Amino acid sequence: MSKVLLKLENLTMKFGGVTALNEVNLEVREGEILALIGPNGAGKTTVFNVITGVYQATSGSVTFDGHNLAGRKRFQITGLGVARTFQNIRLFGDMTTLENVITATDVHKKSGLVGALFGTPRARREEKENRAKAHEILQFIGIDEYADRLAKNLPYGVQRRLEIARAMGTSPKLLLLDEPAAGFNPQEKVELGATIKKVRDAGYTVLLIEHDMSLIMGISDRVAVLDFGTKIADDSPAVVQNDPRVIEAYLGVPADAS
Amino acid sequence: MKNFNLRDFGAGIWERSNRYQRVAIVLVTITLAALLPFAGASFLATPVAAYDAVLVYPVAIFVLMSLGLNIVVGKSGMLDLGYVAFFAIGAYTNGLLSMHTGLNTWEIMPIGIGAAMFAGVLLGIPTLRLRGDYLAIVTLGFGEIIRIVALNVSWTNGPNGISGIQMPPPILGKEFALDDQKLFFWVVLVMILLTIWMIRRLTVRRPGRAWEAIRQDEDAAELMGVPTLKYKIWSFTLGAAIGGAAGVLYAAKNLFISPEMFTLNVSILILACVVFGGIGNIWGVILGGAILGYLPDRIRFISDARLLVFGLVLVVVMNFRPDGLLPRKKREKALVKKGASA
Ligand SMILES: Nc1ncnc2c1ncn2[C@@H]1O[C@H](COP(=O)(O)OP(=O)(O)O)[C@@H](O)[C@H]1O
Ligand SMILES: [Mg+2]
Repeated sequence: MSKVLLKLENLTMKFGGVTALNEVNLEVREGEILALIGPNGAGKTTVFNVITGVYQATSGSVTFDGHNLAGRKRFQITGLGVARTFQNIRLFGDMTTLENVITATDVHKKSGLVGALFGTPRARREEKENRAKAHEILQFIGIDEYADRLAKNLPYGVQRRLEIARAMGTSPKLLLLDEPAAGFNPQEKVELGATIKKVRDAGYTVLLIEHDMSLIMGISDRVAVLDFGTKIADDSPAVVQNDPRVIEAYLGVPADAS
Repeated sequence: MKNFNLRDFGAGIWERSNRYQRVAIVLVTITLAALLPFAGASFLATPVAAYDAVLVYPVAIFVLMSLGLNIVVGKSGMLDLGYVAFFAIGAYTNGLLSMHTGLNTWEIMPIGIGAAMFAGVLLGIPTLRLRGDYLAIVTLGFGEIIRIVALNVSWTNGPNGISGIQMPPPILGKEFALDDQKLFFWVVLVMILLTIWMIRRLTVRRPGRAWEAIRQDEDAAELMGVPTLKYKIWSFTLGAAIGGAAGVLYAAKNLFISPEMFTLNVSILILACVVFGGIGNIWGVILGGAILGYLPDRIRFISDARLLVFGLVLVVVMNFRPDGLLPRKKREKALVKKGASA
């Protein structure tokens, strides 16, 4: 079994009286696609927010690649190799597609303001590397033809894909995708599913929030289910699909009552 | 006419030009700017104040300060209502050092810039975590504090200000003179050109992207690995440096400074230049600074009711051109590949 890349231990997140996450344990192994599912408000996005440092967990711990993430700044967590997309698209709308990705590729670059000002060899080289890498990612995701378009003018589906491309720009080990297929028609979902698989096969580990069962069943290695902030299942897609607790959470009725 | 856009027109010419044409455009533009002081006998003449002096202050110094404030407000999206503080620090550095030491203007310049940058960092570290309105209020307060300190402590001569500031020493054998300020204008012009060079360098590379990302969505920027606080402090500090440089020059030009020259009005005026010209676009900002600096001296009645007229003009222009005269609006590359326009 491959090594554990991300580990959540007894993770609890409270917002005032609301317990968004309740003692959640979760392991993501290197090279897998783990789907995180659950009804609206179950706490899925909150998991991403705690991992990426947007919120500090009320209790419990997040360990990534041997590093305890508690108290780290958000950009440092990104630098360690965790990158995410947003459920509600948050691209840099006034930048071009290419610039969106280049902004992300900067995270591992050393040159800063002084290098930029004086055009040091390192700064020039890194600019070149950024550009090449960004084009490579855009090609990989299949949206390189939009490289010079402003992000805000892109078609919806391309924006969703650019979210993924931008996250990949940070050279992450772990990609957190928050409902990347939201608003897609069945055909687009199939295509996106293929892209996500391709991303994983290229060596990334993927933690995927998604609602569409057929998409999940098609691509994920494992499925974890959240309901009201508690993990109620964590197993292979086939097993989870037939778990009465999961069916109850989704349909709102006990499985045996139907 | 409705579709005509001066910014896109200019950008179009630039994009179609080859290397040599670009060099030519730059040289011609700089030459024309440098010849401005000789145009005093034309329609540009100012009725009351000496034309060449007006070109130095307000025009050139406003342009310089607008460029500096634009880094903070336009490029990185932080509303700084206390920009006058750095102008004042530069001016007082020059005033105090030329009073107490034998240093000349050019020796004081780096010290003035350094002092303003130091103040920028000092103010920036605790406050740049704040956003929007809160940052505006804190910076506004800072601007006032600097003025009030200058007004109330004895070592700045309080309300009497500092007089007898030294003229800059000659450059290439040419003396500075009160009745001929061409040389001074050229000095400020060089500062402006240096600033433009610096901003253009920075904006096409990493710092510019970081600022742009911060301006558009600070949280998303941080999550994409941009050390936002660091780049905000840099932005603030560079803006401060330029404000400080403008202050040193202003003191050297005016030879006298006092606290009432550094009121909130100055901050608002420079902000008006930035917004009026085209927030985020250096050419727009230069135009805004030049126009709002120059017009009150050109049209006599305006200078009597400067702020009133400013306010009115701004309200009117902002109604018709909410993004300023030369907006930042970025064009997409003209050549969009076929099929991408689906
Ligand atoms: N910043 C916040 N403040 C208060 N409550 C929040 C906050 N973020 C999330 N919540 C609450 O936490 C619960 C889980 O939200 P979320 O993680 O967005 O659900 P999901 O992504 O699974 O739909 C919801 O009840 C939501 O209202
Ligand atoms: Mg969600």
